[in-house]
Formats: sequence, structure tokens, C-alpha cells
Amino acid sequence: MSTVLVLVPIVSGGWPLITAAVAGAASALGLVVKETAKQEIEDANQEQLQQVQVELAESEILAQSMVTGQEIVLVKGDIELRVRRDERGRCVVCAAGKGHSEAELKQMVDQFTQKLTQCFVYNRVATELKTKGFQVVDEEVMQDESIRINVRRYVE
Amino acid sequence: MAQHEVEIVISPSGEVKVHIKGVKGKGCLEYAAWLTEIVGKLKDQKLTSEYYEPDTKARIDLRQELRNE
Repeated sequence: MSTVLVLVPIVSGGWPLITAAVAGAASALGLVVKETAKQEIEDANQEQLQQVQVELAESEILAQSMVTGQEIVLVKGDIELRVRRDERGRCVVCAAGKGHSEAELKQMVDQFTQKLTQCFVYNRVATELKTKGFQVVDEEVMQDESIRINVRRYVE
Repeated sequence: MAQHEVEIVISPSGEVKVHIKGVKGKGCLEYAAWLTEIVGKLKDQKLTSEYYEPDTKARIDLRQELRNE
């Protein structure tokens, strides 16, 4: 053994990297992408909906290659999740749904942001390991939904 | 050829535990810095005994002379 590290993730990158992670998280949690274009504010309906919004503290979405106001809308049943970049460049996830309590929506947002972070880190790590010449020896999703990757490379 | 092995566990919350194996000396610190940059921030790091082993290879040549007496 050489060294053991514990790392805290920062979700930082351009919009395409974020959308790839959003797609992965959505697929894992059974959410469907509704639309990716800019949304009109549905003020009449929004007033009746319970809403919860969470900002990923350790996140930064780069503005480049991104249209202002762009967001991804996901749906599962009658719950709608919106992922967007706020004015400070942070990643924001907002859940809304009729007939759902604030606690239910908060749980949904927390579950989604965790999966989004895991997918983002996985994509990033897998890409960088490949460019560094590592080969995947084995990879598995463990019982607690952790992802274990074992890689190897030979050096002179 | 030396074999460098890295075991990475990404928890459901995105926290990452990395175990770098087979890399001696400061080489493992270079891996650690690289992986920290990729993921985000370092929370904890433990160096194991292999870190303190020299990263240069020692070679011993054994020669045997056979004499016919």
C-alpha cells in the first residue's frame, strides 16, 4: 500500500459536462427529460405548486457554451425537477409538484443532487484515468450504491 | 516494469476514497495531487509504509565462476 485519500467532490465544468451527469442521474432515478430549452415562467400554475430549491454549494457551471436561462427539465410522475445555473454560476436544482409536501420534494432534490454528483465524479474520473493510460481491471456497483473502480497501468 | 494500481470508490453522495497501490516514494504524492485536482478537495490522506520505501531500483548481480578442478 502507498497512500489512501478521501476527496470531497466539486461539481465544476461546462454545461455539456453537467448535462451528461444530469442524464445519468435522471436515468438512475427513473426521471425522464422533458425539455432542455428555455422555459417560460408559468406563473399561474407555479403559485399552486409546492416548491423546493437546493443550490449545490460545491459547484461551478462555466458560462461558456451556455445560453442564458438554459435549464433541463425532468419529470417523474407529477414531480418536476429543474436543473439550471444561477447568477453566481452555481448549479441549482428545483423540485415542484402538486400534492407533495415540502419534505417529500426536499428528499427528491437531495436524492437527485447526490446522484448527479456521483455521476459527475464518475464521468470525470473515468475520462481522466483513460487519458492517463490506465486500464480498468474491474468495476462494480456495490450494495450501498457506491461505485468501485479498480484500474492499473504499467510504467518503466 | 512497475505496476501502478488505483482503487477508487465513489460513494452515493459523491465522496471519493482512493487507494493508490504499488507506487513508491514521491510518485504516489503526484498521483494524489492529480486525483485531488480531478475530483475537488482533499479531506484526508494517510501515507502507508510503502510510501517510505525508496523509488529507485536496487540491482544485485550474482556471478558464479565454475572451475573444473
